[in-house]
Amino acid sequence: MPTKLGRVFTVFTIVLYAVTGILTVWSIVETIRNRPAGKALLAGAAFLLLLLIVQLILSIATFGSAHDVDPLLYFGYVITAILVIALAGFWAFAELSRWGPGVLAAAGLTVIVMIERLDQIWQ
Amino acid sequence: MHSGPGRALTAVYGIFALSATARAGYQLIREFDFAPIAYSLSAVAAVIYILATICLVIGNRISHRIAVAACAIEFLGVIVVGILSHTHPEDFAKPSVWSNFGSGYGFVPLVLPLIGLWWLWRVGRRAHRD
Repeated sequence: MPTKLGRVFTVFTIVLYAVTGILTVWSIVETIRNRPAGKALLAGAAFLLLLLIVQLILSIATFGSAHDVDPLLYFGYVITAILVIALAGFWAFAELSRWGPGVLAAAGLTVIVMIERLDQIWQ
Repeated sequence: MHSGPGRALTAVYGIFALSATARAGYQLIREFDFAPIAYSLSAVAAVIYILATICLVIGNRISHRIAVAACAIEFLGVIVVGILSHTHPEDFAKPSVWSNFGSGYGFVPLVLPLIGLWWLWRVGRRAHRD
């Protein structure tokens, strides 16, 4: 993989970690404070969803440059992560108690593990 | 069953069912020959998680019983496979959801059925009182 593209990927992975981490901690705080998900938190979930879709497009576009990556494995993880955040985000929107952010926090933790796996697979 | 924490538990079960199914599906398609026992178990586990999720969503008396059974099987599974993966490591060369007491999944497979059973017990008791 050319180093420039490699660097773009590294930066993007760090951004993904940061956004997912902030969203997860924020959701845990809102759960403890006994608040339903507000507009800002839902916007955060939507932003993460957007980033994951960008990740999907980026990796489709550059897939040829990665050797020995099983597409089924890699895209399985990307698409599962997108589904998890989309469903949890919708859940948080519909659920008018503290358990909206609670579910979002669980989804965030799952997605952090998935980002780590994606990074390992891509290397 | 359908108050806030119960719905949240259902959602967490759903997230776990989704990720376990995705992984088991991949293992069955691509790597089944490496560790047939472990991967068959992963698939069985994924199906039981889906069953438990659906029964938690429905929430009537029959589905309540099925959910209790599903959670109990999950808990037994994680304990038995956890022990077997230490005594017979050669059959579990590749990780399944339940290997090493679910350590590959942050021990979620060990904790989730216990929370599920506790919640079902609480709901059942409340329904009995009413």
